[in-house]
Amino acid sequence: MSAAVLAPRMDRPGTASVFGRAAGAEWVRLRTVRTTWACLLAATVVVVGLGAIAAADEAEGTATAANPIVSTFAGEYGVLLGQFGLLVLALLAVTQEYASGSIGPTLQWTPRRGVLLAARAAVPTVVATVVGVLLALVADVVALLIDPELTLPLGDAAAGLARIAAVLAAGSLLAVGVGLLLRSTAAGLATVFLLQLVLPFLMQSFNVEWLADLAQWLPGTGAVRTLLREPDSLSAGGALALLACWSAAALAAGGWRLLRRDAG
Amino acid sequence: MIEVRGLTKQYGAVRAVDDLTFDVRPGKVTGFLGPNGAGKSTTMRMVLGLDRPTSGSALVAGRPFARLAEPLRTAGALLDAQAVHPGRSGRDHLRVAARANGIPLRRVEEVVDQVGLGPAARRRVKGYSLGMRQRLGIATALLGDPAVLLFDEPMNGLDLDGVRWIRRLVRELADEGRTVLLSSHLMSEMEQTADHLVIIGRGRLIADASMAEVMRGESARRQVQVRTPSPDELAGALLRRQLRVHPTDVGDLLVEGASPETVGDVALEVGVAVHRLAEVHNSLEQIYLDLTGDSVQYRVAAEPEPAGQVRP
Repeated sequence: MSAAVLAPRMDRPGTASVFGRAAGAEWVRLRTVRTTWACLLAATVVVVGLGAIAAADEAEGTATAANPIVSTFAGEYGVLLGQFGLLVLALLAVTQEYASGSIGPTLQWTPRRGVLLAARAAVPTVVATVVGVLLALVADVVALLIDPELTLPLGDAAAGLARIAAVLAAGSLLAVGVGLLLRSTAAGLATVFLLQLVLPFLMQSFNVEWLADLAQWLPGTGAVRTLLREPDSLSAGGALALLACWSAAALAAGGWRLLRRDAG
Repeated sequence: MIEVRGLTKQYGAVRAVDDLTFDVRPGKVTGFLGPNGAGKSTTMRMVLGLDRPTSGSALVAGRPFARLAEPLRTAGALLDAQAVHPGRSGRDHLRVAARANGIPLRRVEEVVDQVGLGPAARRRVKGYSLGMRQRLGIATALLGDPAVLLFDEPMNGLDLDGVRWIRRLVRELADEGRTVLLSSHLMSEMEQTADHLVIIGRGRLIADASMAEVMRGESARRQVQVRTPSPDELAGALLRRQLRVHPTDVGDLLVEGASPETVGDVALEVGVAVHRLAEVHNSLEQIYLDLTGDSVQYRVAAEPEPAGQVRP
């Protein structure tokens, strides 16, 4: 090997360029492990399959040619359950690195941790959101094909997909933040599932008022409200704000651990 | 060039690295030696910005590593060969590294060939032996054609061919003018590899000297062990020649600062039979043990002193 295998660089790349490369590396990381594809497969089956079935079931008997039901709730129901495949994808993108110790090499390749944080939050979030929205659209269309009495106006479809995108983006950022903070797949999975699915329903089911009140402040409540547009006790804007606050808090906590503590 | 200045790392009550200051210069293989737990890995992790020093600093090619935009083009490191995602292929692992540092993908194929990973590079790391993982780690370190290289225990778990390969590789890298820091807890590995030694124990600097200097110190302490049926007579003759003689616990004599030739000639002069005459090989291993002896953290209690250790 000669000492000049690579041309020497005169100009140092700027932060935008370093971020672009870090994001590119994150993308290669994501697509070169099987778990990513397993998560996407699971999400596809649940979102499209359950969504279409739920929509067809809902339309059965209630939808008529005169009073058609909009099929967007196929995607909404589907994502309500199928989002977990996508959130697990985002979580594993972070925690697998701590399980294998490969966070060490990662930080040797991208030692500017703020840049790494940005790339690590952005890439799984974009992937989960884009894939989730596409799957929801497929679910809507499949529902339409199954039951011709459903309808899918463009405006409703766009609005429904936008709400799905918001829920998935917020959920992915939450998962990334939790993963960076806890550095453990098991603890991260438990936390994300509890916050996003289990606690909001469980705490309301006890018929204890303060527990139910507390459940109103969990991210899962905001996600359900945004996806299904009910219950009305929480406004649409309030639900989005709730989601944004949880994502911001999780990212701040996880980012603090990545930026301020030893690599792990 | 690596510059370590007053580097300190405190974990609770334990001071893993204690005010270390040394330079690692280009064109040489610098051996970074110390018993297990001496703080070698922690020091390397701080140099690479992975762990935050409690105090002090480290510069790589004149800059803190954590500020480098294209770190692999400046410094490559193999710290822990196991720290690779098991589900990714070796080649994909290298591709991620290349992508993050703006390195053309053809370099991935070049380093795969250079370290002899061959077709295994397409397989998932899960099935790699430790030796293959070491090779993958070294390929990653070489990817950016860096001027500075850090290897933490790279010979660990390698077979003899692998060890020879690493020795040749680090020699070539240093001969090309690169800065090479190579850690090990085994002095014998360094004896044939390093030009310069930085020895630490319990986080503190014990020695920072060229291999030649360390060896010179050794030859001044050369000893000869001699077995004879008339030890008193021979000891008297040796003492008359201003040589220092000590009895060993097996009844032999230990002569300091003399060659076997001298001792043999003296025995012939006084007509004493010699049954055994041998230079006590104070290997680098022994010097290292002497230097780090007080700083070994996990020492076997009641270890019998080897003959070469006998002192007045």
